[in-house]
Amino acid sequence: MNMAIEAKSLTKTFGSVRALTEGRLRVAEGEIHALLGANGCGKSTLSKIIAGTHAPSSGSLRINGQEVSFASPRAAEDAGVALFYQELSLIPQLSVEANIFLGREPRTAVGAIDRKAMRAMAQKLIDRFGEAVGPGLRPEARVSDLQPGERQIVEILKVYAKNPRIVIMDEATAALDSRQVAVFFDFLREKRGEGVSTVFISHRLAEVFAICDRITVMRNGETVAEMTVADTTQEEVVRMMVGDIHRPQKRAAKTGTATPIFEVRNITGARFHDVSLSLAPGEILGLGGLQGQGQSALLRGLFGITPLTAGTLHLEGRACRMRRPAQAMAEGLAYVSGDRVSDSVLQGRSIYENLLAALVMREGKLWLSPRQMAPRLSAEAASLKTKYAQLSDAINTLSGGNQQKVFIARWLATQPRILLLDDPTKGIDLGAKADLFALIRDLADKGVGIILYSSEESELLDNCDRIAVFNGGAVVTELSGATLDSFHLTRAAFGES
Amino acid sequence: MSDGLTSDINARPWQTKALTLLRDPLTLALLAIVVMLGIGEALSPGFARGDQIVRLLTVAALLGIAAAGQNLVILSGGAGIDLSVGALISFGAVVAGNVMNGADAAILPAILAAIAVTFLFGCVNGIGVTVIRIPPIVMTLGMMAVVQGGLVVFSQGIPSGNAAPALMNFINKPMLFGLPGILFAWLALSIAMVILLRRTSLGFAIYAIGANEQAARLVGLPVKTVRVLVFGLSGALAGLTGVMVIGYTGNSFISVGDQYMLPTIIAVVIGGTSLAGGSGGYVGTVAGAIALVLLQSLLTTLHLEVWGRQLIFGATLLVLLGMYGRQQAPRV
Repeated sequence: MNMAIEAKSLTKTFGSVRALTEGRLRVAEGEIHALLGANGCGKSTLSKIIAGTHAPSSGSLRINGQEVSFASPRAAEDAGVALFYQELSLIPQLSVEANIFLGREPRTAVGAIDRKAMRAMAQKLIDRFGEAVGPGLRPEARVSDLQPGERQIVEILKVYAKNPRIVIMDEATAALDSRQVAVFFDFLREKRGEGVSTVFISHRLAEVFAICDRITVMRNGETVAEMTVADTTQEEVVRMMVGDIHRPQKRAAKTGTATPIFEVRNITGARFHDVSLSLAPGEILGLGGLQGQGQSALLRGLFGITPLTAGTLHLEGRACRMRRPAQAMAEGLAYVSGDRVSDSVLQGRSIYENLLAALVMREGKLWLSPRQMAPRLSAEAASLKTKYAQLSDAINTLSGGNQQKVFIARWLATQPRILLLDDPTKGIDLGAKADLFALIRDLADKGVGIILYSSEESELLDNCDRIAVFNGGAVVTELSGATLDSFHLTRAAFGES
Repeated sequence: MSDGLTSDINARPWQTKALTLLRDPLTLALLAIVVMLGIGEALSPGFARGDQIVRLLTVAALLGIAAAGQNLVILSGGAGIDLSVGALISFGAVVAGNVMNGADAAILPAILAAIAVTFLFGCVNGIGVTVIRIPPIVMTLGMMAVVQGGLVVFSQGIPSGNAAPALMNFINKPMLFGLPGILFAWLALSIAMVILLRRTSLGFAIYAIGANEQAARLVGLPVKTVRVLVFGLSGALAGLTGVMVIGYTGNSFISVGDQYMLPTIIAVVIGGTSLAGGSGGYVGTVAGAIALVLLQSLLTTLHLEVWGRQLIFGATLLVLLGMYGRQQAPRV
């Protein structure tokens, strides 16, 4: 058996963060091979090294038996390796054909783009998905006019237009419907027959077992297992992904008998559908699952940042609507984003002003007296152990962790009844995280309802009374009590309820 | 809070402190004013005489009042700029001139009429920018053309309307301590602007929206309303400038305000307000307006040809703006 990919002892560090400590992957020619692992296990880093996006810090990589070190994605493509980008890489204003052949358009004898040939080649590629795509998917159609599933198919075709021998499919089925997935799998099998190797990354374990020959499992930056699909079970794969089962130190769980402070019934929005949740006062409800399964989108929908297209919201039994953040604030909601640069920081302004931001509208005062406000705001900042010299210093004199404390204190000053936390610890140091979760527990004890999304599952397991697990924009299952452990969380994250 | 941090800041060597001070646009503008006065006095004795300075400040006041509105628009960010101030100054002058028609009793109605009309034009700018989402530079340029066209139709191109004598005295004759009334009016406006920006929720919202519009929306600030209001205020302050301008010149003609458009932007930027929005203030703009008028006056005193004046004027501005541009580049 010829090995298409042989990666041994690959490591990658970003600054002081070790994203990959022992990356191993062996994929045979003409094999469909699954690469699995929880959030942050290193599978994306490993794929990016193979596709030439990142250079490894150390280790060896052989492609078709040749030792390689790719200087760029282009170099990897020249060696026959193509990566499917999870983030859409299409240019919406261009046509389907122009996107598929971007940078490698067929040329006529005089060097101009051969449009006739390009259209014919694009049509041939599209025809392979024949019955699974609508009539809108034509070579000359603009990408911005396509449905999300069709766009993803164009993205897939763009990968295969490079005639690769090795393809890395990172969440390539995320936006496809079941019929499109079936056709795509037929296509993958056909490619397997032609000797093309596929590395398949997916958040749906069922798909992995339907299409893959072998599986490599990663955990905490290391490859921990390599197995044949026929010889294993989904149960065993989940166990390998989880490792030692993390059983959290339970906080004194709130009794679920209290009347819910906040109820969400069958709501649908941009990247989630038919979600129902209920939150008791003093409860910490976690949103779990792999990244980008609709958790952030849900929180933004609840706070009125993006519109809800269906469903109802009830606050203490009373129906309410959140069309704008101001409306959600008036109802006593608060939202802390993990994306500080785009959602929170008032760049170039003082710490005082950054703390004051949410209070201005909440209290509706025309006159802002620093003498009156400053003591209140510094008290809120102190409750989170925020370190700063003076309130008048610029916000960017603080570290990321201290900035995030300021943005949380900003909301605490409004005394919210419901706190929505959208991956609030993204990129902040361990000390700041500990301070933050101590405060969150404290708030819950005081009766505030908290909905927490975190991309780190230990944060969810250690702090939440219940976890609603998301997969593909919907809640797969809710974990509580005995099922609140890393095994059940990971299993649900991969679509097994 | 943290002793370590405080002592670190205090322990900065004096060179660093001096450098920070030199980078401060307000200090730079004040320094430029002193240097230019010195050069002017050396080249042409009498340049820095008291009555000359009062004359200069009066001209600067006209620019400064219009620049206050420009200042608010630029602070609120989102590529905010108001190119219609010149046309609205002309419009305010023509409206005030026709309402007053030389009668002292009609001064107050004239001021109110000019401000009300230009405020509405400004709000139209704001609505175009926020609701229809036309970029500010395009929207206000269009407004400028519409207002100028309207003025031609309205006045048939003939100067019309006269300033009331009391208004002319207010601007040209000493009122108190040898200073004309307009300087006290400018002082009052400056205090009002500083209070608005530093102590009111509207001022807070203007800075917040300019610093990060998305963050401002997420804390519930009414971004669109504030923007409409800011463009409205810019229009109203242009209208008020128009009233002062007719008092300065005696009568109104339809292009009287055109020369103010670019200088309002320059005064704001020299004064240290970031063109990206979210940082700066009105005190700097006051210094900027004075420095700008002083530079123009100095170049006239040098008896340079017109092309020489323009060359030096343009080069000075490029140097100043270049210095600020670099300073404000790292915004993340």
